[in-house]
Amino acid sequence: MKKDLNFEINILPILDILSVLICFLLLTAVWVQIGTLSTQQALGDNSTAGAKNPPSLWIGVAENGNLQFSLRDVKVKTNLESSVAAQNSAVNWNALNQKIKTLKTQIPELKTVVIRPDAKANYGVVIKIMDQLKQNNMTDIGLSPLG
Amino acid sequence: MKQSALLMTSSASPLTEAQLLKHGGQKHGKAKSDGAVLLPLTSLIDAFSIIVIYLLIGTQSGGLEKDIPNKLNLPVADASQILDKELPTIRIQKGSYYIGDKLVAVRELGNALNEVRKSFSKEQSVELLIQADQAMDYAELDPILRAGSEAGIQKLKFAVLPKQ
Repeated sequence: MKKDLNFEINILPILDILSVLICFLLLTAVWVQIGTLSTQQALGDNSTAGAKNPPSLWIGVAENGNLQFSLRDVKVKTNLESSVAAQNSAVNWNALNQKIKTLKTQIPELKTVVIRPDAKANYGVVIKIMDQLKQNNMTDIGLSPLG
Repeated sequence: MKQSALLMTSSASPLTEAQLLKHGGQKHGKAKSDGAVLLPLTSLIDAFSIIVIYLLIGTQSGGLEKDIPNKLNLPVADASQILDKELPTIRIQKGSYYIGDKLVAVRELGNALNEVRKSFSKEQSVELLIQADQAMDYAELDPILRAGSEAGIQKLKFAVLPKQ
């Protein structure tokens, strides 16, 4: 007896499953990609006697948004202590950006920054300061624990 | 006369049939007679399959993103680097500390981070990924800095959302 090879595959259920799968994956997919800001901890003193420290900038962050700048180990004659006052109880971001740019112009080798926030300082503000520093080519950023 | 089996297969291939959507699975003759719509489905299935594979791979590669709880508002940063490898993660949520998904008491942070450090070889430098809400106080981060330093973990990465 001759076998009939002519049969039909029902594709519609496969299409249904594929469509449902696509809808499920599209709805559950998380498209947010995470980014990171790197730091080094500024705890302890590993420097040996006589070793040359690179020029560094220390930034104190107050709860009300005031920023205190302190330069260390710099050769250029400049004002070592300065500050950026808060604006409407928040950090004055334009003034901070301008300040970092000015310091970078005066001391091009300045790459090390240590941030010293107050206990009540906002974490988001600290991260934003780090972000501004990174944008201005400050590569070595450290965070100081509370004193 | 005997016909080749190959010739028979090519003339009445099941694949040829599968490519056509037939009205109610009716036979050829009737389908022709009542003007059933014939749609080429192979290309459609191809496209669907590629989308499914793409989405499956795309959702699996972003493992770290899924670990972020919905209520955690990460800070936004411009100069962030994309996370390219799995790192030991510590999360601060409502004053509680989680290493991975395990809740750790503040006084136990040092021991827990010591264990994390021991899971790497001495030559390897360990980096810690910190996930925290942007609204929290810096004081809540301080125990991690101290415990990390005691455990010999000095490199920290703060999880942020890259600015679009």
